Amino acid sequence: MQSRWIAACLSVALLCLPAVSMAQARGGRGATPRPPSAPTPRWPDGHPLLSAPPGQIGYWDSGTGSLTGKNGNNLPTNMETSEVPFQPWAKALYEERQRTQSKNDPHARCAAPGGPRQFHTPFGLLIYELPEAKRVLILSGGGVRTWRVVYMDRRTHPQGDALNPGFLGHSVGHWEGDTLVIDTIGFNEKFWFVRAGFPHTEALHLTERISRPDFNTLKYEATVDDPRAYTRSWSGGWLINWHPGEDFEEYFCTDNNRDAEHLVGR
Amino acid sequence: MKRRSLGFSAIITGLLVWAGPMLAHHSFAAEYDSTKPVKVTGAVTRVDWMNPHAYFYIDVKDTASGRVQNWAFELAAPSVLQRQGWTRSTLKVGDVITVDGTRAKDGGNHGNARTVINAATGKKYGAGSSEGQAPAETTPQ
Repeated sequence: MQSRWIAACLSVALLCLPAVSMAQARGGRGATPRPPSAPTPRWPDGHPLLSAPPGQIGYWDSGTGSLTGKNGNNLPTNMETSEVPFQPWAKALYEERQRTQSKNDPHARCAAPGGPRQFHTPFGLLIYELPEAKRVLILSGGGVRTWRVVYMDRRTHPQGDALNPGFLGHSVGHWEGDTLVIDTIGFNEKFWFVRAGFPHTEALHLTERISRPDFNTLKYEATVDDPRAYTRSWSGGWLINWHPGEDFEEYFCTDNNRDAEHLVGR
Repeated sequence: MKRRSLGFSAIITGLLVWAGPMLAHHSFAAEYDSTKPVKVTGAVTRVDWMNPHAYFYIDVKDTASGRVQNWAFELAAPSVLQRQGWTRSTLKVGDVITVDGTRAKDGGNHGNARTVINAATGKKYGAGSSEGQAPAETTPQ
């Protein structure tokens, strides 16, 4: 019943709104011109639907994007890597990871991708909101097929010893207008939270802001607050395109991963 | 008509061979040496149609010594290969193929395939190599 009502609302919205959205979201330097898009699909109460509307399939085409640099689908407001406020040890470790061509990236050993890393893990991303359960699930098509829970029931983070550091951390979320805001703490240090290998510690506190400025575009932004690794908090993000008409296929990095033994770097 | 169909075939072949920058779950540069291209011909001995990368193995005969060595080649993930015209039975044990690719840095008989040509059919397949893809955060500034 509810799904029929949602479908009816979406149909009315699609008929009444202009055929193309005037969303302002655009990528950075060299971004491919984005084709006209239908407007943002919405729930009956008006807030954005981050998954496929009823009767449709598709996923977010994750795999690219970064928190720094302005190229491609990166946000034009991103800082350059040279501007990242590293603590000295973190800068040295980042440079070492670059020098060795990311040969020690835990992701290549099939570690779960926490924070922004999940949004640029290849082979697709889905974001399902479950209002009855007061949760948002963020599902990865690639990597180790990670599913992350964002609690939307106004709970707070566990404190002290009750907080067990993990790959995905403890995420609580809420809507601010059309933006899903996710606050996460409780990360372990066994993964790289971005592909480039920017270091983090267990003190990492992430604030992610996710919106859908038009049907085909997901805007992802993250604010990194980790005083042990960075001298101040900093932000960046990128746009992710909608991939319509397909579901993602089964993919487990652990199935037949032969790469680790051959990663020798420079 | 013939010219049109040739043109159409060229486009289709181009689409099948086009590799494009495919994202991998690991750094290409950490594993393969772009300055060491490798081209070998041999019979397929094994195919692993699996994630995170499909693999195939071929027996390659050294023309000088006559010695046969088994080589392993990495392909893209099966879902990526399917978009380029592959199926899990595109390569079968016993097929004689020519592989164009990039050799592993560790010096073993291991490489990343860029294209594969089936000797019997002459059909050429792009292998979904992620060569040339720079890690996103290290784009020139």
